[in-house]
Amino acid sequence: MSYGEKHIGETLLKVDNITLAFGGVKALSDISFEIRKHEILAIIGPNGAGKTSMLNVINGFYHPQQGRIEFRGVERRAMRPHLAARQGIARTFQNVALFKGMSTLDNIMTGRTLKMKSNIFQQAIYWGANQREEIAHREVVEKIIDFLEIEAIRKTPVGRLPYGLQKRVELARALAMEPDLLLLDEPMAGMNVEEKEDMCRFVLDVNDEFGTTIALIEHDMGVVMDISDRVVVLDYGRKLADGTPAVVRANQDVIDAYLGVSH
Amino acid sequence: MLYREAGQFKTSYSADQSIFPIRQDRIALVLFGLVAVLAVPALASNYFLETIFVPFLVFAMAAIGLNILTGYCGQLSLGTGGFMACGAFFSYKLAIAFPDLHIIVVFLLAGFGTAAVGVLFGVPSLRIKGFYLAVATLAAQFFLVWVFNKFGWWTNYSPSGVISAPPREIFPGFAVTGAQADPITKYLFLLAFVALLALMAKNLVRSSIGRSWMAIRDMDIAAEIIGIRPLWAKLSAFAVSSFYIGIAGALWAFVYTGSVEALAFQIDRSFQVLFMVIIGGLGSILGSFLGAAFIVLLPILLNNAPGLLGLRISVELISHLEFMIFGGLIIFFLIVEPHGLARLWQIGKEKLRLWPFPY
Repeated sequence: MSYGEKHIGETLLKVDNITLAFGGVKALSDISFEIRKHEILAIIGPNGAGKTSMLNVINGFYHPQQGRIEFRGVERRAMRPHLAARQGIARTFQNVALFKGMSTLDNIMTGRTLKMKSNIFQQAIYWGANQREEIAHREVVEKIIDFLEIEAIRKTPVGRLPYGLQKRVELARALAMEPDLLLLDEPMAGMNVEEKEDMCRFVLDVNDEFGTTIALIEHDMGVVMDISDRVVVLDYGRKLADGTPAVVRANQDVIDAYLGVSH
Repeated sequence: MLYREAGQFKTSYSADQSIFPIRQDRIALVLFGLVAVLAVPALASNYFLETIFVPFLVFAMAAIGLNILTGYCGQLSLGTGGFMACGAFFSYKLAIAFPDLHIIVVFLLAGFGTAAVGVLFGVPSLRIKGFYLAVATLAAQFFLVWVFNKFGWWTNYSPSGVISAPPREIFPGFAVTGAQADPITKYLFLLAFVALLALMAKNLVRSSIGRSWMAIRDMDIAAEIIGIRPLWAKLSAFAVSSFYIGIAGALWAFVYTGSVEALAFQIDRSFQVLFMVIIGGLGSILGSFLGAAFIVLLPILLNNAPGLLGLRISVELISHLEFMIFGGLIIFFLIVEPHGLARLWQIGKEKLRLWPFPY
């Protein structure tokens, strides 16, 4: 598997002059960037820079006061999270947001909800169309389970799993949606080195094998510089820099933001 | 030693997804079914059938309904009594207006009618959660009972407001409602009807709609992010739940008490069903049955225990003691096992699988 020869395509999602304010607090001001097909884009920045707010805007949780978002070349109107999901945007959360009362398998199966077509009466009868559908989707889910190496915890309620595995199940649930764009909010937060390495491997494999476009927020600069194709740097709701890891690393504004500067 | 699944390998997803994947469970189910169908009618007296088994099955149905809403979808409701009243009065009006309609069709139509009412009162759930929603459903409880008391049309202008359920037959010659109905026929009809609807409820909760409900219950934001529409998930839970509760109300009036009156569906009925769900186990179909059995059987047991033990206690003292012991037991159960009898049952099975080893 070589990561060198991948082809980053045209723009998948374009964010244009987004401004988001909560009362007097400007969370995002005038942000523009684009996410290209098949790339891994990292969004970095100090705490409170507006990274998660940016994901929430893309996701439809927040509604920006100004600016436009184009997804697949079409401008979006008022967005709700479930509509974003329908368009092919999946997401994981900074604090794991799994369904605690359900097993790993059921959690991942919920990711297939949008693809399931049988109606409530067919589901009440179960046998027949609904069972065929359940089994077909189970097969897809099992492939994802194999891919993320979580076979052993299939039937375990996710509330009992350690944190690192919960993060992995959450990734599995997002993958079950077969998204075009995958948003990962700090997928490696709170992990030890080994778990981080595993997670990096999965992110790269997802990108490589399924061709999924990934936008991720991460604080570990080693990880960011290693796996991302491009980096967007935010600070205090403004965009500081945008470019390849090498370019961003050399940018004076970014160095100032991270290391501080004497005034 | 008997309860081992070792050696039972599943080779297909359909086998892995079956309701009872372990062979011993299936055998137990068949035995249990045989007891319920053959032994109970043969051994139990009419009195026991009428006072224990019939109300147990009716309550189990209501508990399944509330469990779908509260246990699976996480929407607390105190309107159960009101929805049961809907089912009872809808089926009464239908049965009177269309005397030729088969009684099962009447019950199902009453269920669908109640589902529509449930959706209506479920609309606030889109904006409010938890205790606030419980208070909103309380409005449904009082409003619906008031409607059935206030307007004589529902009782065909009967002066007392109490009407007896018209006699109907399930098959020619087998009456299930009315004064002439045989308790054994009633019991067997209820058993089959409730078992079938319970199976359908189980099918729903293990399919995608059930997973949507549980997703909304566990984390509504994450549910929305994977494309579940909260509107659809919550309102469908209200609809299905009210369908079951409505049918339970119809069965209550037609098969159990034989009379239709709004007084039977006051707020204490709502609490009674809620206790069944909590004690039986939130989010468990089996728990609905266990909870119903617990709440129906315990008072009768407590009532008869002093007599059986040969103690002479006055009737008032017995009924007071019944309340105290009942309340104490509920608190005890909630502290020892907040997930209800269904969880106790599950833990017992786990232990049995490992026996004689501790883990």
